[in-house]
Amino acid sequence: MKKWGVILFLVPVLSSFAYAQTGTKKRRPLPYEYGEVSINNYSSRAGLSPVQFDHWLHRAYYTCRLCHVDIGFAMKASATGIKAADNMKGYYCGTCHNGKLAHGNRKVFEACATQSAKEDMKRCNRCHSKGETVKREYDFAAFIEKFPKERFGNGVDWEKTEELGLIRPLDNIEGVSVKRPPLATQKDFTIGAKVETMPEIIFSHKKHTVWNGCELCHPEIFPSMKKGATKYSMTEIFEGKYCGACHVTVAFPTTDCQRCHTKPVR
Amino acid sequence: MAAFLGALVLICSAIAAEANWYFPPPPPPEVFGNLLIDRTSTKNKVKPVTFSHWSHRRKYTCQVCHTELDFAFKANLTAITETENQAGKYCGACHDGKIAFGHVKPNCEKCHNGDRGYGKEKFSELMKLPASRFGNRIDWVAALEEKSISPARSLKVKPPSGISYDNTLLLEAEWDRIPPSIFPHKAHTAWLECNNCHPDIFNIQKKTTKHFDMKRNIAGEFCGVCHMTVAFPMNDCKRCHPAMKESQ
Repeated sequence: MKKWGVILFLVPVLSSFAYAQTGTKKRRPLPYEYGEVSINNYSSRAGLSPVQFDHWLHRAYYTCRLCHVDIGFAMKASATGIKAADNMKGYYCGTCHNGKLAHGNRKVFEACATQSAKEDMKRCNRCHSKGETVKREYDFAAFIEKFPKERFGNGVDWEKTEELGLIRPLDNIEGVSVKRPPLATQKDFTIGAKVETMPEIIFSHKKHTVWNGCELCHPEIFPSMKKGATKYSMTEIFEGKYCGACHVTVAFPTTDCQRCHTKPVR
Repeated sequence: MAAFLGALVLICSAIAAEANWYFPPPPPPEVFGNLLIDRTSTKNKVKPVTFSHWSHRRKYTCQVCHTELDFAFKANLTAITETENQAGKYCGACHDGKIAFGHVKPNCEKCHNGDRGYGKEKFSELMKLPASRFGNRIDWVAALEEKSISPARSLKVKPPSGISYDNTLLLEAEWDRIPPSIFPHKAHTAWLECNNCHPDIFNIQKKTTKHFDMKRNIAGEFCGVCHMTVAFPMNDCKRCHPAMKESQ
């Protein structure tokens, strides 16, 4: 009798699992969670918690290009395969987190070490903090308090925040970056929507190059520089391709339809 | 033995579901769309929170709570806490003593009462709204169209003007004799923003529609995310399949 009870209970439970993937509404990340990346290539094996990286803090001080082009972080979590040894040699996180680089009037704390004393654990946990109760040095709510607000993502209009000079993200680091005069940017252009009556997209190179330069998107994400040569759909964007490489995870999300679909249909 | 019986039950239930859709028995109109939220209440020794969709949707469109205030589409999924409410988030965005009754002592039991039918005496106020056959037995879409109700579209953050996309889709039914169903975007965008449904519930790719059969809808996916729990339930066949005969 008991067995039957278990079976009858399991049937609806199991069948609901089978369909759990599509057709339902996902949970929207909270503003401070948006852009959070958890990295665990080697952490667990080394007996440490995974690294929790918050985009919101770093992007306020550094451009996307600096980390994703000059330093060479991949655009997908765990795709870089960051090793402690690399950090110690001054690559990846260690490019800045070396105990030497100045950030304002202080030094950026050093990442990773071959050996660690017990008191070092506190430093390890500053990054290896996923699931740990670590008191953060920067409080999200206080940090964004004065920034212009947006409805989605971090709840911050980063574009406007930069425009107003409330943040001045650094684009170069000596010894890593090579300063070159910026290329002239194309004027804003429209991208036609496939669906009739859907407003066209206005794409601004200028707004993107502030953060990304040219090299973050070209040639990998958008191989062709010729307008209209790369064909892509919203479905692909939702899957994290093309615009979705950033606008699903870090930059304002695709749920903000009208931030891109702005042009009135003629 | 248990495995064999389990497999048998699975097969039988699959056949039964295939042959006959199971519509859960409808709650009375004044309880339809009401839910109890008990993520942490009982654990914290207070009664679960009662929430009535009909009393709220008279005054606010779905998007106010489900986009601006970020309530999930499933009970107990949103981390609503007393602290958050006091800070003006979630319920506290309105229930602040100004827009609606506040989070103060004598009011606790207005929400924390564990009674799904709480406040049903007020339901009679809705009787003047256009009628329908199922759910709350109110045609909310018609009520909005004829302006018997004018629910707000935002609270503090004004959404962009809205993409006017009023394309009505025609969706072929999976069974031969069932006439196609219609999907009017406009009736939905009157309450919702694009992002309430896209891309989580409906990926924009047309092909996807072949996966959303009635069984999954009734189980609470796709249309069933709303149209079984809050919006008119799918017992109301003809509202989506307008050419369907009464005998079908």
